[in-house]
Formats: sequence, structure tokens, C-alpha cells
Amino acid sequence: MKITRLFQRTMFGIFFLFLLIGVSTSVVSIYSVDLHLTSEYEENSRDIAKTIADASVDIILNRDLSSLQSLIDQFVEIQGISYIYIVNDADEYLAHTFVPGIPEEILEGERRVGETVTRNLAGMGDFVEVSSYILAGHVGSVHIGMDVSHVALAIQQAIGNQIYLIAIIFFVGIFASIWFVSFAAKPINSLLDYAVTLAKSEKAEESESSTERILTRNDEVGHLARLFQYFSTVSDPDKLQNNSNVKEND
Amino acid sequence: MAKLTRRQLAQSVLAAGAAIAPWRAFAANPTGQASTVPSGPLTDSGVTDSEIVLGVSTAFKGPSRGLGIELYRGAVSYFAHVNDQGGVHGRRIVLKLRNDGYQPVPAVENSVKLIVDDKVFALFGYVGTPTVTRVLPVLKKFQDRDFLLFFPFTGAQPQRQPPYDEFAFNLRASYKQETAGLVDNFIAIGRERIAVFYQADAYGRSGWAGVRAALKEYDKKLVGEATYRRGEQYTAVMRAQVERLKKVNPDAVICIGSYAACAAFARDAVDGGLEVPIANLSFVGSENLLKNLTDEFGTESERYSRWLVNSQVVPSYEDLAMSSISEYADLMQRYDPTPPPEFEEHDYVPFAKSFTSLEGFLNAKLMTEILKRAGPSPSRALLEDAVFSIQNHDLGIGEMVHFSPERRQGLDQVYYTIVDNNRFVGLTDWEGKFAT
Repeated sequence: MKITRLFQRTMFGIFFLFLLIGVSTSVVSIYSVDLHLTSEYEENSRDIAKTIADASVDIILNRDLSSLQSLIDQFVEIQGISYIYIVNDADEYLAHTFVPGIPEEILEGERRVGETVTRNLAGMGDFVEVSSYILAGHVGSVHIGMDVSHVALAIQQAIGNQIYLIAIIFFVGIFASIWFVSFAAKPINSLLDYAVTLAKSEKAEESESSTERILTRNDEVGHLARLFQYFSTVSDPDKLQNNSNVKEND
Repeated sequence: MAKLTRRQLAQSVLAAGAAIAPWRAFAANPTGQASTVPSGPLTDSGVTDSEIVLGVSTAFKGPSRGLGIELYRGAVSYFAHVNDQGGVHGRRIVLKLRNDGYQPVPAVENSVKLIVDDKVFALFGYVGTPTVTRVLPVLKKFQDRDFLLFFPFTGAQPQRQPPYDEFAFNLRASYKQETAGLVDNFIAIGRERIAVFYQADAYGRSGWAGVRAALKEYDKKLVGEATYRRGEQYTAVMRAQVERLKKVNPDAVICIGSYAACAAFARDAVDGGLEVPIANLSFVGSENLLKNLTDEFGTESERYSRWLVNSQVVPSYEDLAMSSISEYADLMQRYDPTPPPEFEEHDYVPFAKSFTSLEGFLNAKLMTEILKRAGPSPSRALLEDAVFSIQNHDLGIGEMVHFSPERRQGLDQVYYTIVDNNRFVGLTDWEGKFAT
């Protein structure tokens, strides 16, 4: 397919435009999805922490700790929640879900109940931890850790889908524009051929039908063709005489 | 023709469904002990003219199958004997079996099916704390139907204390009693720095809480802890757990786990230089634990097994002077029960005798006694009264059994065993064996 250099540049322009759209919308999406998902996970985890805290009071005060463990084991099965631990008011760990044990970072770290804490646990990864007091802190507190990579994975999936869609639109756009460009370039190519013919002072008989077509067009290409023909006759006295004879006969 | 009400229609459909249900005959096994499925239509009560059906959900498959299978084999050896003698008030005792693989969710689903679809008379012989702990609310949900859970293979507290104690009866001593006994003995011989290695679930937490409470009596705390995930195989690497515990330099480690994981821990502990007594609770399944080590190390396994001390809730199966032990040995040999064919995995080799199957045998023996006392027209509503009628009952193991509304656990005795000549034998001299 023949494409003029002018339109090749247009194609590059389209490509860069799509690239710009893809990158800019991805950046905006990453930011908004990250913000939205993180806040949603935090919100849900806080609700779960509160639910466990409310349900734990009776268990801690009246029942065996295996019931407490059974309770948190059910919640840790929820997607996105990586660990749960419960400490009492004396800062003793009453139940937890860590294997092979409670990480040093948590054992030695400062306990900040009610705040969102970011943790990097050796061998486990990065986590966002939320917490809730049990009986206003008089019994202890519940802490829930969410895996940050889970949020990152969700973002990757969302962005991946978006880039996939943009790529499809891009390729459809490229093929469509190639077709349109070649369609639009056809009369210009004919005009170019006609101009070359005139410049070489060749006889028009060889391409009489195409010359006829281009000279009878009503668009800019037709005007330019007739203008080229006029300049050609002005610069050639024989053609000018021929054209005058033709007019007189008419 | 009288119109059927919707309820009558539903009952008719259910009865018809039960009648054509593909139950397989109890006596299908050539040994006469095959046991698992009732025949004939069931009523809502789980009792027919010829059968009493008990529902069992346990681990017949998976890493803890050794416990479920051995407990079942012990129970079946006694029920087969009872059935051969004419059953209880003319009714054979049959078991409707379901596999939960020692996982809580299947255990809950199985229990609902046993209650709603299978319409068993009572639940019997469950295995595990994480499973039973989740099943208890199911019993609460169906409390209007008076379902009871008999003799689960767990020493955890939830079925021993409110609000779920009224739905279960236990035969064995609790983990609290087992861990307290281990702590008492370790402290008595100067091993005061006690750490725990436990399964990260309700079972592990139950034992952990027992050790913690026992140490509190001595004004002491756990010096360290390490956990593993339920379902670990013997091939699991426990070096991370060993390293954790080595850091706190314990005098003894109490394990609250299953046999595969505890055997893996014992192996890695000794290999990692943590050479201290490693205690295991009865739930571990002592023979299966030892088998894992002997299968890998053969005669060299003594290097690992010499540190083992396992608490048991039944006497040694070698103590044939006790009438029930002798009867157990006889019936296990006579019936030699096979694992349930519908769940059989051909790589499992049953034990001729084991603490777990002995416990299953004693569970079945006491269950039979309860069914006898329930009379010729047993009903779930009156079953509890039959249990409470058991007062100072001689089960044939040297310890009397009695129940009451305040006492829903039959036995309290804890026994301690060590490995000698590739088998578990009674430990009498803690000082001589494990003194620092």
C-alpha cells in the first residue's frame, strides 16, 4: 500500500497520541484504583477487627482460647487478610495465625491500636495493619494484617485490562487510518502523476482517461490540475495557439 | 381419597428416598465386621427395628487419616462383636461414615448431612479439635432434635464447657489434664524452661493454653513457641521452627500437633542440635509418629525417638491384665477390621494394636452400654438420661466411669509413655530418663 510521507508522519502522531493516552490514563487509574482499593481493604479489615473484638470479649473472659483461635481462623480465610493476632491488656499474645511464629518486628514493635500501620515482615512481605480495641482496651486488642501485594495484584489486573483495551483500539485505529489515508492520498498521487507528465511535456494521450478524470474533479485536486494545465499552456506557445483555436472553433 | 398435606407429601418423599438410598450392607465384609452402612428404611430417629445408626465424620483420608482409621477400627472391632452377639435389644449397631480429612468445613457439611439427610441416631467418634469446635454450633442449631456427639477424639475445652458442653459427652481426659501432667513432671525433674511447638489452629491453641495455664500455677511462662500449618506431611521441613526454639534454650518442648508434623519436628530438632525431651499429647497418634521415624531411619530412629515422651489417655495396650485390654487384643485379632472400603487408600497399613484404636474400642464399649441403658425403644430425647445413669461403671481399664449433668467426661487418668525397643511403653522414672 502506497502511503505518502506526509501521512506516515500522521501515523506516528497517532501512535504517540495513543501512547500518551495509555500512559496517562494508566497513571491516573493506578492512583485511583490504589487509593480506592487500599481504603476499601482498610475499611473492611477495620470492620472485621471490630467484629472479632466484639465477639472476643465473652470468649476471652469466659471460655477456652481454642474458641478464640477458631474464630480468627475463620476470618483469616477471607481473601486479602494475611494474619490476625489478639493481645490481652498485659500485652500477651492470646491467639494468632503466624507460622512458624510471631515475627520479631511485631513482638518488638510499638503497639498502636486504632491506627493504620505499615509493616515489612522479614520473609513475609509488606502489610498494612489495622486494629481495634476489645472492650475499649480493657481486655486487649485485635490486629489484622492485609497483604499489600494483594492490592498491587488487583491494580495490575485492572491496569492490565485497561492497557489491553487501549491496545485493541490502537491497532484498530492504525488500520482504519491507513485505509483512510490511502483513500485520501489516491487523487493526490494522480495529481502528482499529472504534474510530472506536464513537466516532462509528454503527450497526454497515453493517460487520456485519467487526465480527463482529474481535470473534471470539483475539489481542490481538480482546481490544482486545471491550474497546472494553465501554467503549462502559458509556458508553451504551441499549446496556447492550439487552445485559442479550440476556443475560436467553440 | 384424602388429600395429602404438603408436609405429609414431603415426609412420604423423604421416606421413599431413604428406602431406596444406596446403603450397602453392614455384613458385606467376609469377616462379618464390615460396618459402615445401614440397610432398610430409616426413621427420623435413626433407629429401625433392626438397627441403630450412628453418624461418623472423621479423617479417613489426608495427613491425619491414621487417627480416623485407627479410631474407627477399634470401634468397629467392638461393634462387630456386639452385632455378632445379637446387637443391642435385637438391633445391630451400624455406622454411617463420612470423610472430613480433618478439615473444619467438610466436618460441618458432613454433620449437617448426617443429621438432616442420613437421620442418624447420634454422632459418634469424631476426630480433631478444629473440626469438632466448628461442629458444636451445628448441634446447637439442631438442639430441638436432641442430637448428641459422643466421645470425640479431642481433649479440647469447647465441648467440655458452656455453651456447648450440653451437646457432647467425652470419654478421654482433656488436653488441660495432659498438658498439666507433662508440665508437673518436667518441673519436678528440674526442666522448667518449657517451650511449645503447636499446630496453628484451635487444637494447637487448646494445648498451648493448657501449658500456659499449668506453668502459671508455678508462676512461670512459656519460654518460646513455634507453629506449623495444619496438614503438614512428614516431608515438611521444620528447621525454622527448630531455630526459633533453639534461640530460647528450652529444657523441654511440648508438641501439640499431628503425627506427621511432630515426627518431622522431632527429626529436625535432633538434627538441628535441639536435644531435649519432646513431649506429645495423646492426639498425636504415637504409633504413626514412630512409624514415620522408623520408616526413614530404621534402627537409627532411636537417635530421634529417645527424646520422645508421649502422654496417653488410655492404658498401654500391652497391659493384658486389664480385662478390657485383653478383650481389645482378642477382638482386634479376631475381626482385624479394615479401613472403610469407600475411603480406602491402599498405601495405608493398619496397626495390629495402637493407643488410638484402643480408645476407639473403649468408646464403642461405653456407647454400647449407653444404648443398652436407653432401653428397647431408644429415643434421642431420653439418651442423655441413659448416659447419666452410668455411675461408677467399670470399663475394664482400672478407672471407674461416671457421668452427671455437671460431669460430661468419663475418664481423668493420663499415662506417660516413652519409646523402648521401637514401641511405646509406660514411663515410671522421669528422673532417671529425663533429669537435667
